[in-house]
Amino acid sequence: MTSFQTQTQVARGERAVRAVFYGRGKPLFLLYLRTALLTLVTLGIYRFWARTRIRKYIWSATSVADDTFEYTGTGLEKLLGFLLAVVVLAIYLGLVQTALAFFGLFLFAEPESEAQVIAQLAAFYISFLAVLPLIFFAQYRARRYRLARTRWRGIRFGMDLAAWGYAARALGHLLLTLVSFGLLWPRQSFWLEKYMTDRSYYGEARFHQGGRWTELYPGLAHVGLGCLILLLSGVVIATTEAAWLGGLGVLLGLVWFLVGLVHYRVFAFNYLTRYKRLDETVTFQARLTTREVLRHILLGALAIIGASLAGAFLVSMVFGVTMGIGLATGGLETQSLDAPPAFLGVISVLTVLVYVGVILLIGGLWLVLVTQKVIGSAVNSFTITNVAGLDKIRQRAGDQGADAEGFADALDIGGGI
Amino acid sequence: MAFDGRYYDGETGAPQAARFELDRGAGILRLMVKQGSAQHLDWPLNDIRAVSDGARQGRLVLSLRSDQHTDGTPLQVSRLVLKDAGAIAAIRAACPDLDRRDVASGTMRRVVSRGALALVAIGVMLFVVLPGLAGTLAALIPANREAQMGRVVVEQMERLFAGGDTASLRCQNPEGVTALAAMLDRLDAPQEPPITISVFNHKMVNAFAAPGGQVVLLRGLIEEAESPDEVAAVLAHEVAHVSARDPTRAMLRAAGSAGLLSLVFGDFAGGTAAVVLSEALLDASYSRGAEEAADAMARDMLQQAAINTKGMADFFGRLAQSERFIELPVFLSTHPDTVAREAQARRFSETQTQTRSALDDRQWQALRGICD
Repeated sequence: MTSFQTQTQVARGERAVRAVFYGRGKPLFLLYLRTALLTLVTLGIYRFWARTRIRKYIWSATSVADDTFEYTGTGLEKLLGFLLAVVVLAIYLGLVQTALAFFGLFLFAEPESEAQVIAQLAAFYISFLAVLPLIFFAQYRARRYRLARTRWRGIRFGMDLAAWGYAARALGHLLLTLVSFGLLWPRQSFWLEKYMTDRSYYGEARFHQGGRWTELYPGLAHVGLGCLILLLSGVVIATTEAAWLGGLGVLLGLVWFLVGLVHYRVFAFNYLTRYKRLDETVTFQARLTTREVLRHILLGALAIIGASLAGAFLVSMVFGVTMGIGLATGGLETQSLDAPPAFLGVISVLTVLVYVGVILLIGGLWLVLVTQKVIGSAVNSFTITNVAGLDKIRQRAGDQGADAEGFADALDIGGGI
Repeated sequence: MAFDGRYYDGETGAPQAARFELDRGAGILRLMVKQGSAQHLDWPLNDIRAVSDGARQGRLVLSLRSDQHTDGTPLQVSRLVLKDAGAIAAIRAACPDLDRRDVASGTMRRVVSRGALALVAIGVMLFVVLPGLAGTLAALIPANREAQMGRVVVEQMERLFAGGDTASLRCQNPEGVTALAAMLDRLDAPQEPPITISVFNHKMVNAFAAPGGQVVLLRGLIEEAESPDEVAAVLAHEVAHVSARDPTRAMLRAAGSAGLLSLVFGDFAGGTAAVVLSEALLDASYSRGAEEAADAMARDMLQQAAINTKGMADFFGRLAQSERFIELPVFLSTHPDTVAREAQARRFSETQTQTRSALDDRQWQALRGICD
């Protein structure tokens, strides 16, 4: 991160260069706050521009060999893509959901247990299953859009049009993962990543994903351990009197499992990066550590909890004072039916403001303290060998893609950035 | 004065060292690219744009105004990277439209036309397709399934009103139940679906209809009523709803539109609130027609049973009075204007002859004591 490093990277012909992340908390937090408020007052319409600007910041903070990435997407094209997706989804979702609600009523003739009653009510809201193929479709389209709008040294990234092929494969892999109780999960993550990587380009140069899916298994070790602890705790609860021991075990198993999930993601990221190639000659390295990611998540969560508690304290103070003023000036008369008590109005306005404020604060803190930090760690752990090979790569002809990431946005995929 | 920069021609990824001078008189940035075959480029100062929302301080990336299409295919992709503070300051002073964002012509037209298309699609779905579909599907549901569903809904409502209290809310004083059954008999409701009336021990002035012939009255409503005719009017109204299978249809329709609305509003802060609010508004607009039909059917039932709709008018009249102050009863919020309904019921009652009270005094006292 020092200027010394930056200088050495400029030296040409060097074999390997490290990527550097220059993002900082304060400017990003202020940018988030500004764009989130604009989103609020425009009833959500500005969210397309908000996301664009935050991406521009993150992209431009990412630097390889002293040249930063550039995000060329626009809010307008996101809005247009969203409107297109809304037309398609409105028709599809409306029909599918009504049909699902109907079959929810139809399927279980006589609910015999509490569970069946719950299942019946749940059927009203299972729109998720119906949109699953669309979610995978949208995931691919969203990645394709992001790549198409990413430039480095003026040369554009890109991806083939193959979203339906991806959706079909993703459904198949998901099914296999489910019936194998998660044992084939590495197979799913590997082949889906390979499908996308093998269709990605930088300029005219194609990416290639090598490696073997079985080599992702070591990364799953802690997930497996977590499951084992949960299983043992279940046995303890079922067979012995020591419920407290079982409960403790469940808690431990759950934490272990979640940490294991993070570890697997990090492991897979490092492994898959190591086996990516660009134009046959340029290779990559990533040395992200689970410890670092966990630290960001933990610190971010602590900060959010702290801020929320402080906010709650402040709010209760304000409410106390407002109530006090209301009672002192109006007394019990304000309870009569003749006039709506003014201070109730003040309180409801305050409540709405606090609700919105808390959501904005949590979103901003998470973006700055977790999302950006994790991206920063990932970028800083990244090395590129044979960076000179990038000089020869030629510009890529334009891709079509009028819907931007409309489907992903409409289906709410991709979170903050 | 000449400055240094790094130039990318947008054809290959190779960085090229460049020098440039600002000719403010001619309004041109003269660029000399030194590497490879040396070349001279003229960039008009008015067309120079900075890449926006950059995170790194002390650097500026310049591009030329590109006639960018809305699908993002730019015609001009060269970049000039500046790191020298003097050069950045000079550019900022010389280029008038550095931070301008160019929008391709015809974009507004596309936004408007696509926006209109999306609005039409959503409108047609919400107001034509979903209600129609819900109506068709409601007719297809087997009666026993609907009855089952109705019982679940009423149980859930009971839990909601109990507010975590596990004690049952059902009022089951035998004489009161008998009186209520007598009132239902008088109304001579349609046989399908069979009607089940429950009374909840709760102070709210309210009544509901649920799928499968389930009708719920709250204690507050019986207490608020000043005569048995008023209770009979509300009962007739709810019975009319269940006979028309309005609650079933409403549930099916809500399932479809909830997903649609959350799609439109996205996940911004307050997005959920916006969905809930517009769902309520939508519900109110649908219900208006159903409510008017239920009122008409209730008046007919009362007429058949020789019950004066003056009770209906009186009840609406008092609600119209109190609506302005007390918490708005839920069953009113989706209903037509109470004052208009009162007038309609009063006009109808003037045409009625030979009516008698819905319950005699003894039965009325029993009904009022149904929760004791």
